Amino acid sequence: MAQACVYILLASGLTLVFGILNVPNFAQGHLYMVGAYIGFYLVMSSLLDYWLALVLATVALGVAGLIIYFCVFYPLRNAPEVNLFVAAMALLMILEGIALYFFGTEAKWFITPLSRRVLSFCGLALQVQRLVVIAGTAVVMATLQLFIKGTTLGAALEATAQQRQGAMLCGIRVSRMSALTFLIGTALAGVAGVLIGPAVLLTPTMGMGPLLVAFSAIIFGGLGSIPGAVLGALVLGLVESLASGYVKAAYSLTFVFGIMILTLLFRPSGLLRKEVWRP
Amino acid sequence: MRTPGSPSAFAWAAALALAVIIPFFTGDYVTSILTLICIWSIMAMSLNLIYGYTGQLSLGHSAFLGIGAYALGLMAVKLHLGFWPAFFTASGLSALFGFLIGIPALRLRGPYFVLVTLGFACIIGVIVLAWVDFTGGANGLAGMPRPNPLPLPWGGRFAFDTVRHMYYFVLFFLVLIAFLCHRIIHSLLGRTFIAISQDENLAESLGINTMGKKLMSFTVSAAFAGVAGALYASYNVVISPDVAYFTRGMDVVACLVVGGAGTQAGPIVGTLVLMSIPEALQIASHLKTLIIGVILLLFVIFLPSGIAGGFKAVFGRSRSITGPG
Repeated sequence: MAQACVYILLASGLTLVFGILNVPNFAQGHLYMVGAYIGFYLVMSSLLDYWLALVLATVALGVAGLIIYFCVFYPLRNAPEVNLFVAAMALLMILEGIALYFFGTEAKWFITPLSRRVLSFCGLALQVQRLVVIAGTAVVMATLQLFIKGTTLGAALEATAQQRQGAMLCGIRVSRMSALTFLIGTALAGVAGVLIGPAVLLTPTMGMGPLLVAFSAIIFGGLGSIPGAVLGALVLGLVESLASGYVKAAYSLTFVFGIMILTLLFRPSGLLRKEVWRP
Repeated sequence: MRTPGSPSAFAWAAALALAVIIPFFTGDYVTSILTLICIWSIMAMSLNLIYGYTGQLSLGHSAFLGIGAYALGLMAVKLHLGFWPAFFTASGLSALFGFLIGIPALRLRGPYFVLVTLGFACIIGVIVLAWVDFTGGANGLAGMPRPNPLPLPWGGRFAFDTVRHMYYFVLFFLVLIAFLCHRIIHSLLGRTFIAISQDENLAESLGINTMGKKLMSFTVSAAFAGVAGALYASYNVVISPDVAYFTRGMDVVACLVVGGAGTQAGPIVGTLVLMSIPEALQIASHLKTLIIGVILLLFVIFLPSGIAGGFKAVFGRSRSITGPG
């Protein structure tokens, strides 16, 4: 369940960015990893409070998102879309290189006051951190939904995702909206990283599995749709845990990937989206 | 290379001559690096066919490399097949996988195709690592065969037991595949690939079976990647799941884009540049990913047609054959 929450956060970020920039942000999983490491260093080295670290890491990732947007995707806004894919891939390589070089290859334990505490409930042991992840995700997603549906800025964002030219005609600054989307997307990855960090081991490649599941989730739920992303993340999170419980943990990704292929073959627009992708 | 005697044919001949004589002047270390550069150039050429010329970006080529390498290894180590049967089956198997994954994947366009290939690469990586009984898991697989010694026409044998001899063996395949790519690109089929990369809908409306042609391009590309994998396994003697790790596929994309996608020199130039820089700087392997990523990003933003494409734009006449760039 906690893992599924990470997928929800990552998938929402991916689907937002995809909706506006039409780029699958391959670096999302690595941004999540960087978020987890920033949280780790803030708490373990600077001895900051976990919650403060959560906020700081999120802000840091949001700023990183802005920088990435203006350095990479803004100059490429008129380039063929394949160049954007390659750029996103290059970002992934850069972040992986940074993580390998600066954070080291050995796994790290992110210890917080909450991560060690375990609740026993009707014979079930439950890590408190996992409850934090679930509650945190719920809060973040509710805020996101309120922002998109309840504010003018959110409406502008949605309009840009739906019809780029139309939004431009209405006087919406599309490039600002793209920057904002990127900021939100990377900030979501940061939140996910710091939330799940204390419940897992930190490694420079920890982002790749969740990234793949999150991609499968947004394809399953329909690219560009946040409810679709949430649904997809929940379903695939369940599939993954069932597969690792009954088959073998290492193969669980294969099942998730299989579902992605089946979705693409039989319902390429995803479960919660009606139109097929743009030509 | 279009007409004998043209400047580019001369450049190719000079490059080949240089490649042949270099090992006589350098040590084994440089020769082994050159061998790896040849293998990765074959990978980049393989990707060039599907991405550079047909316009479909595949992030899954590490999977075909891994399949080629492991197929050769498993057939030789577990089934005790000779080198050549194992070598050809490995390439064939890789092509088969390319064909099978191509059927669902190539129906999709743009980001969807990229995602499926990336997913495929990750899955193959996971299977190679997790299926310990079959692939040896993280420990890898040892005891790859070297090619059988070739009898020489003037007596004696050419055994592939030294670094230099392996280099010539790999170089032979590099030249062979470069030649095959050249023939494909300059045939009607190649023109069709380029038409698809430029406008798939238009190509389809002209009566081209785009799905069939894309599948053909992808299958051939997978076969070439399988050859690269088999060569790598044979050269390295030991293989580990690292071969099939998905970032390998990304490295290949980097080599191709930096060199120039959709050009014939691009794959070789890009691989040469990207593999020489870390060697020349003698940097830690962790920093390599970072540097390659940064170089790739700079090229995508400032020179998306790559070194060869930029060279052509500056010095070349306008040429009829270019990929999407």
